Amino acid sequence: MGTAKPRPSGGRASVAKAQTLQALPDKTFIVDNGAYTLKAGYAPENPPPEDEVQALSACATIPNTIVKTRGNRIYVGSQLNTHVTDWNEMFFRRPVEKGYIVNWEAQREIWEHSFFDEKTARSKELRITDPEDTTLVLTEAPNALPVLQKNADEIVMEEWGFGGYYRSLGPPLNAWNQLNTVFGDPIVQEAESVVSPRECLLVIDSGYSHTTVTPVYRGQPLQRAIRRLDLGGKHLTNYLKEMVSVRQYNMVDETYIMNEVKEAVCYVSNNFVGDLEQTWKGNRKRDLPDSKEGVAVDYVLPDPNAGNKGFMRPHDPLLNAKKRKGALSGASAEALSEDALVLGNERFTVPEVLFTPSDIGMKQAGIPDIVLQSLSVLPTGLHPAFLANVLVVGGNTLLPGFMGRLEAELRQLASAECVVRVRSPQDPIRSTWLGASRLATNREEFKKIAITRQEYQEYGSSWAGRKFAGAL
Amino acid sequence: MYRVELLPGSTTHVSPGWTYVPDRGFDPAKAAITPTIGRKRGIRDPGRTDLSSRQTNAIIRHLAELDRENHRDVQIQIPVRQKEPAAPRGTRTKVTSNVRRILQSQKTFRNYLDDEEAAQASTAAATPGNTSATNPPSSSSAAAAAAAGGGSATGHRGSIHRITKPSTAATTPSSLRRSSTPPEENAPEEPNTTTLIRSEHDSNPLLRSYLPAAPSERIMQALLAEPPLTYHAARAGSPIAPRRSQRHFCCMCGYWGKIRCKNCHARTCGLACYKVHEDSRCGAFF
Repeated sequence: MGTAKPRPSGGRASVAKAQTLQALPDKTFIVDNGAYTLKAGYAPENPPPEDEVQALSACATIPNTIVKTRGNRIYVGSQLNTHVTDWNEMFFRRPVEKGYIVNWEAQREIWEHSFFDEKTARSKELRITDPEDTTLVLTEAPNALPVLQKNADEIVMEEWGFGGYYRSLGPPLNAWNQLNTVFGDPIVQEAESVVSPRECLLVIDSGYSHTTVTPVYRGQPLQRAIRRLDLGGKHLTNYLKEMVSVRQYNMVDETYIMNEVKEAVCYVSNNFVGDLEQTWKGNRKRDLPDSKEGVAVDYVLPDPNAGNKGFMRPHDPLLNAKKRKGALSGASAEALSEDALVLGNERFTVPEVLFTPSDIGMKQAGIPDIVLQSLSVLPTGLHPAFLANVLVVGGNTLLPGFMGRLEAELRQLASAECVVRVRSPQDPIRSTWLGASRLATNREEFKKIAITRQEYQEYGSSWAGRKFAGAL
Repeated sequence: MYRVELLPGSTTHVSPGWTYVPDRGFDPAKAAITPTIGRKRGIRDPGRTDLSSRQTNAIIRHLAELDRENHRDVQIQIPVRQKEPAAPRGTRTKVTSNVRRILQSQKTFRNYLDDEEAAQASTAAATPGNTSATNPPSSSSAAAAAAAGGGSATGHRGSIHRITKPSTAATTPSSLRRSSTPPEENAPEEPNTTTLIRSEHDSNPLLRSYLPAAPSERIMQALLAEPPLTYHAARAGSPIAPRRSQRHFCCMCGYWGKIRCKNCHARTCGLACYKVHEDSRCGAFF
């Protein structure tokens, strides 16, 4: 491969370096490149901090998108949180499709903006000043297309020229976290203070574009058992958007706002039939006393002109009557101008599709069923160990009731002899990043799997692909 | 007067516009569209036939709709950044051909997936024995693994920690070949059973463990060394045991969809919602 790029500074130094075997750079930068946000930061020094909050302080969450606002202005990455005030009719361009980096043109722009450009890279913790002296850890979703993997390797090594590189599946990295506290196991003091992966762990990663189930054995995925449900947070948001657009206001262009609404009001019901009966509109006529502590809530939409953010409040069935009265008697304009969505059964029928995809006509099984489908291709001797160590990560985990429902359904499906424990880490979104940062502190293990720039230049990208696939 | 007679054969004749295909008998997909049973029975008894192709298309379109980033197609250009005199790009002045090709590619995931499928189809066609040579051994080895794991549950509690603890050194998957033969799998477990303290209660049925034993390290290494599945193979299948029948919801208010519109088969919960549906959305099939 003619990829060797001459370094402008000190050609002699690189020649001298090429003679000896180039070592992996000490600094490790980790990018968990999600479709919705990318989680990035430098790995800590060895030993990693015991306190999870302290360890996560190095990790920043950056929206992985380029947006166009109503005023035709374009913002990149973290500018979405700082520069944008009008969220209405915002359009998104995401470089990650279905969980995989597809459009490197956009992805490069976001990376440049967040990590490389000294004007826009937010802080020192996120700047990559010299990629030659940095090892990059990049995560990917399972079952990626080899073409896309090759593209990622080539861009990372040839566009930026990182000194070291490791591309890994995302979910297995969670096995490197301190999961004893999460699962409530006794903490065993190991003789050597090296970070090691958990022996058996079943990772359910429910993210923006899909939900995957990955059994992990000692930090390595069992590839044959990885299963994917093609439903994620994006589908939930769009589904809610569609429902609201049919029933109330037309919100089809308000993806951002509907995502906020989803995060504020949606929950996973533990009693679907009961909740649905409770939200039946016939109850209103019969004047059942359900409106007080009922399911229905109001979501007041954000008002960009007044600079108000959207918020949720308990449902007020007499709101419209009050408004009419207020208009007659001349109430404050603020109260009159606000627009509110009334959300009843939308609150729980939307996340329900993760558990019953057949509700929207999908032929796939729900998450608990997929766990068993995944285990069914593994030896039965492994089932107890995996069912007792189910870790759920990803943004959908934050839906209230999600964990309880998952554990309850899994308990029903699993055989009675098995213990079923479903847990979620403190920060389910950055958990994968945290695991990667702990793996990076285990230098011995890390050196075995990562490649150096020199090796890449010598053997090329297809070799790198085979190396990361564990075939070398 | 002459007539065309098609001799029976397995080949199909492709010509523009029309084609002869061998008659393969009853096709349930076509039978669903034109059911031979009466029209009324089909309406009253929707469970008998599968979804019609129109409904299937509607579902597929709906799912594609849910998969979109934006409701409308928008082109968002990368903002042009003003050229600084090589401050951030100081060390990397040259763009390689690979990078240029990747950056200029406007392919979507769909395109990549189609390419991948085409490549797989062509390799499978070129080497017909290839797929059959790689897949069955892996599945049969797993079956053997499962059988070995289930068969060797001989009294000791099936804890994976005990069996796998002695080998603390992390072995790389490449150090072990797949050619490890299944019949030897029980061999490494035998020392374990001999080290257990024997007592006269060992055969007590109350103490018998119903948990299957963990598989041996060799099976685990073989499992770890397997290549990843393809994108489509990793997609989860339909429910193992469909516990409840398909639920239907009112397309207007989201309550149970108890009645079906006679024109478009959309569900509504009652007459109130049905009236609204008939006035506004009926006929607009999604």
